Amino acid sequence: MKFLRQVFAITAKDLRSEVRSKDTVNASLSFALVILLLFSFAFDPSSDQIREIAGGLLWLVFAFAGTLILNRSFARELVNDCLDALIASPVSGAQLYLGKCIANYALLLIVETVCLPVFAVFYNVRLPRSLVLLFVVMLLGTWGITVIGTLFSAMTVNLRLRELMLPTLIYPMLIPALMGAIQLSTVLIAGDPVGADNEIWFRVLVAFDLIFTILAVGLVEIVLVG
Amino acid sequence: MRLKIILILSVLSGALLAWNLHSMFMDVPDELNQGAVFRIIYFHVPAAMTSFTGFYLGMFAGIGYLVKKDLRFDSIAAAINEVSLAFATVTLITGSIWGRMIWGIWWAWDPRITSYFVCWLIYTGYLMLRRAIDEPTTRARLSAVLSIFGAVDILIVWKSIEWWRTQHPGPVLEIRGGGGMAPGMEAPLWWNALALVMLATVLVLIRSRQQSMQREIDSLRRYAHAF
Amino acid sequence: MTSNYTFMFYGFLAAWMVVIIYVIWIALRERKLRDELDRVKRMVEERESEPRK
Repeated sequence: MKFLRQVFAITAKDLRSEVRSKDTVNASLSFALVILLLFSFAFDPSSDQIREIAGGLLWLVFAFAGTLILNRSFARELVNDCLDALIASPVSGAQLYLGKCIANYALLLIVETVCLPVFAVFYNVRLPRSLVLLFVVMLLGTWGITVIGTLFSAMTVNLRLRELMLPTLIYPMLIPALMGAIQLSTVLIAGDPVGADNEIWFRVLVAFDLIFTILAVGLVEIVLVG
Repeated sequence: MRLKIILILSVLSGALLAWNLHSMFMDVPDELNQGAVFRIIYFHVPAAMTSFTGFYLGMFAGIGYLVKKDLRFDSIAAAINEVSLAFATVTLITGSIWGRMIWGIWWAWDPRITSYFVCWLIYTGYLMLRRAIDEPTTRARLSAVLSIFGAVDILIVWKSIEWWRTQHPGPVLEIRGGGGMAPGMEAPLWWNALALVMLATVLVLIRSRQQSMQREIDSLRRYAHAF
Repeated sequence: MTSNYTFMFYGFLAAWMVVIIYVIWIALRERKLRDELDRVKRMVEERESEPRK
């Protein structure tokens, strides 16, 4: 229980600082809106084609906007040697990591929940009745992004080219999770039932989340401390 | 000793490759549908096999560093991953050329190619990460963790893309065809695989020594400037 | 089937070029590293032999 209490202490710290400054979420939201705008030039927003690629568009927006949040996650601790202080504190690396993961997860979900209706409005997509399932997909997919992103944020925090390295490293790794989320989202947004052959993507998402959470929690101490 | 191994392996692999080239052209007949170009497979597949083996060995070398904290493991890991990336590049390029001839397109998004490309991207990221870190132990540590993630992810990526692409049938592509090749044709492939593995080993040995040398230079320079 | 042979030739050429370029790069790096190692070793000797101030 103490483990979880300390994890949530870290989460609360991150969320509190974000609520007070609101800089990361604002930046992420603005970026998401810009991407939605840019995509409107790439595809004709009014065509039926959008229905086929809706899931893909949505998750690309989430992935790109999410990188901003994930980057900030450990970068914000560099000022005043806060990261060193955190590492030196009695909180273990795994607790620090999980705490930040949950905070990033919450922030990313907020951004996504705002983006979803905006996306529906911009691209004339009627949101499905199976909104609950869509939300489940968002929960699963976002956790995958968060888990990998937070770990790699810890890895790249001290590098010169932090902002470049993080996206370069995480996007290839995230492909299975993104594929699952995209496929399921496309099907759900189109209003079709999730068929048997799409059900496998739920399993892919859950497996991805489980495997990489365990791997990350196991290795994060090495990344942070050595 | 090391130099002797390098020399012997390079001569052996060179000889094997040369002999293979000969048997590829003289003994093996042209394939029925593809004509002469199918011989690219004799480099394409062995290069792919070598690169995959390399990436997994690289992961183990990374784990070796994390467990033993010996920087020699890191030199080996870096060298293996780099050499495997070179062979992966060969695989992608030869595959693309073959595809152009057989399917008429330079690229296709079928499961195998796509997941291989993802693998290539992950390890390019690995090299970029190494380039970005100056401190040797941090570099060894972080790149070892990255190579573990990368190697695990390759499997997941492979399976996922296979499921994805079989749901969206693309152009008809079956590289290997039904049951594989006729026995007479298959031999040069395995010999070439052996030759490429030997060549890869030579390159890894040379490259890992260079990594160690670079580290020695860095530390000597630091020592010199400390005066 | 001559176009076939052309492509095969290009394929082989591409494969070999990548490997050869990589090997050349390694060889050049070897030479550069050796030179640098000698230079740094000499620098260390010089500094060591200097009288301490």
